[in-house]
Amino acid sequence: MAINLKLVDVAVVGLGAAGGVAVLPLARAGLKVAGIEAGTWMDPSKDFKPDEIHNNVRSLVTTVPKAKNEIPTFRTSPDAKARQAPAHPMMNAVGGTSIHYHAQSWRLKPWDFRTKSETIKRYGASLLPKGSTLEDWPVSYEELEPFYDIVEHEVGVSGKAGNIQGKLDPVGNVYEGPRQREYPMPPLRTCDFLDHMHKAARSLGWKPFHAPAAINSQPYRGRAACAYHGYCDRGGCHVRAKNSTCFTTIPDAQKTKNLTVFDGAQVTRIVADNNGKVTGVTYIREGQEYFQPAKVVLVSSYTYENTRLLLLSKSKAYPNGLSNNHGQVGKHYFGHWDAQAGVGVTALFPMDVNTWYGAMLSQGVVVDEWADDTFDHSGLGFIGGASLCTFMEKHPIAGASLPTFGRAPAWGSAWKKFVHENANRFTGAYLQTNSFPYENTYLDLDPEVKDPLGDPVCRVTSGPKENETRAATYAQNKMEEWFRAAGAIEVIQGQPSGPALSTHTYGGTRMGDSPENNVVDRWGMSHEAPNLGMLGGSVFGTSGARNPTLTMQALAWRTADHLVKNWKGIAG
Amino acid sequence: MASDEITRRAVIVSAALVPVAALAQAPSPPAAPASALSDAQLRLLAAFVDRIIPKDELGPSASECDVPVYINRSLADYLAAEKTAFVEGLEAMDAFARRSQARAFIDLPPEKRDLVLTAMENGAAEGFPNARGFFNRARRLTMEGMFGDPYYGGNKNFAGWDLIRYPGPRLATTADDQKMGVDIKPYHHSAYPTGGGASGEGHGH
Repeated sequence: MAINLKLVDVAVVGLGAAGGVAVLPLARAGLKVAGIEAGTWMDPSKDFKPDEIHNNVRSLVTTVPKAKNEIPTFRTSPDAKARQAPAHPMMNAVGGTSIHYHAQSWRLKPWDFRTKSETIKRYGASLLPKGSTLEDWPVSYEELEPFYDIVEHEVGVSGKAGNIQGKLDPVGNVYEGPRQREYPMPPLRTCDFLDHMHKAARSLGWKPFHAPAAINSQPYRGRAACAYHGYCDRGGCHVRAKNSTCFTTIPDAQKTKNLTVFDGAQVTRIVADNNGKVTGVTYIREGQEYFQPAKVVLVSSYTYENTRLLLLSKSKAYPNGLSNNHGQVGKHYFGHWDAQAGVGVTALFPMDVNTWYGAMLSQGVVVDEWADDTFDHSGLGFIGGASLCTFMEKHPIAGASLPTFGRAPAWGSAWKKFVHENANRFTGAYLQTNSFPYENTYLDLDPEVKDPLGDPVCRVTSGPKENETRAATYAQNKMEEWFRAAGAIEVIQGQPSGPALSTHTYGGTRMGDSPENNVVDRWGMSHEAPNLGMLGGSVFGTSGARNPTLTMQALAWRTADHLVKNWKGIAG
Repeated sequence: MASDEITRRAVIVSAALVPVAALAQAPSPPAAPASALSDAQLRLLAAFVDRIIPKDELGPSASECDVPVYINRSLADYLAAEKTAFVEGLEAMDAFARRSQARAFIDLPPEKRDLVLTAMENGAAEGFPNARGFFNRARRLTMEGMFGDPYYGGNKNFAGWDLIRYPGPRLATTADDQKMGVDIKPYHHSAYPTGGGASGEGHGH
């Protein structure tokens, strides 16, 4: 029997990057919030280590039982049998993936929000990706800007503005949308290799800049500055300089006494009444089932789990899953065409680059010339492109596992000589391709594979995409050009093949004005269940050519703000 | 003073390099080393890893760096589910050596051992299903043992890190540690108190 708990105003399902931000404006407004998180608190002094085997080889920061038990299945066509991947890209913890992410904190471009109409306007409808279900977002960059600004300051983002109210500064990214003011902190420290790449980009006539990051470049709000120790990737920050929500917005919300964190609590269903309103959530904690009644439910787990939880939550009002009476839950899903999609470029230099230490992609130099609609696509046969990022941080096992570029065998004394000389002379580049939703790519429930509770796991179907393949290939050529200009003696391009399971995933509960094609409205609230909101990448309609987290957080803050301002109408 | 205190203060002031005894707390007290492999299997494994990373003028071999210790311990705990397949692979390698070279693998001279490995690597080892898969896995574990933190049993005397000129984990680095074309002084420390390097207070909170 489920234990019934006391009614709260808002139940937030998942305290990660998005839910962990939404709780702050809700709690500050005096709403009583239950933050229900499947994972637990992590301890920076015990759980986060400068240890590649712990973080990267064994994934001990990111692998926790719930995620491990719910790995989605994957297939590339509806005719194929979907197979479970070896590992899940998400994690469960208070703070979620904001604990181990690289913390690049980008705003999307104005173009990302209106890709469809801008493409038609500039090139004609024939350049729209074939088979895509692309729509303009119901929100513009300009509408989201104030929330980007709030989150950059509340979470803490280091960076250099390239466009303040239309005034361009070439030290920052001149291709970004206009922002109202400077970042709260300057960019992370530069260093020799980054300066070298910066110079090479300028020699090509490009406009390189330092990546924006939710990592403190200087002490910020009582937390330490980055120490550049070089174990940011797949690890948490031992000095709390990475602004994971478990160090920032969640503790801030707890200080109001209006947020109660229920950790180790796995939500299994969202409950709806016969009128179609949600009444609360059911969760399991230490084997006991609880029902947490709530006036409003915000679902902020992960893209795969957001869709799965809705599809599992069937009721009289929603026989095909919560908020799915239009059959849109799981549709318009897509993964980002980044390193997880085979996109990337590796280079060998004739000199030591010393990129061992640093703050991963966040201590990076980026070129945006070949992303979005920055360049003329006439005659190219694709839209979009990719951001190009060169970066610091390399771990010894990965360093010793460098490709031999045809210059040595893969083992033995000749190989030893090669790695001795070259482990410190190679580097990779991180490319993120503008990615879009398609009819051939979607989420549903797997008909066979179940989690230990007996619930089906999420099934990912992801078909081929010509537009993204072309855009990624084009961008890889540009990256090779950049590496060559920097003096690289060998360059290897990746083979863009599309993402399987990914840490950058979008859609499934897409945001849009029409309930026929979208699950949530422009505020992130369900078109069908009026007191249900969705947070995270699952509401995105395009990916942009950059990391999604800051946009998730700005949207989460905006949804929470909308709730606060319209509380009686939504919760009443 | 607890090393953690030193750590926090040091990092906040962004000191270059702080000589703390250990960079992280050990996940658990050092367990009694468990063994997954028999002595004969360990000898076979040592013979394999020493062809991947042989002793030469650039430094010691993989077995001299205790790479088999890392693999053996891993198969006894974290990779226990993989142990059976790994042992089967080792034994299949030996059987293939006997078939193709008429001797047990450990009785072969280095150049003949390399012929066995090359056939495995190329997927050309007849009668040895998944030879390439086993070769790649065993080579990967060799890399982990040679270049991973010594806490896990391998990388003895930090010889793996010295080979690739990785200066070692540290808590804070300055811009000088990120300069190109300079030799950064190696910092021979494990991330853990029990992982090797200079000893100190380490525990005790």
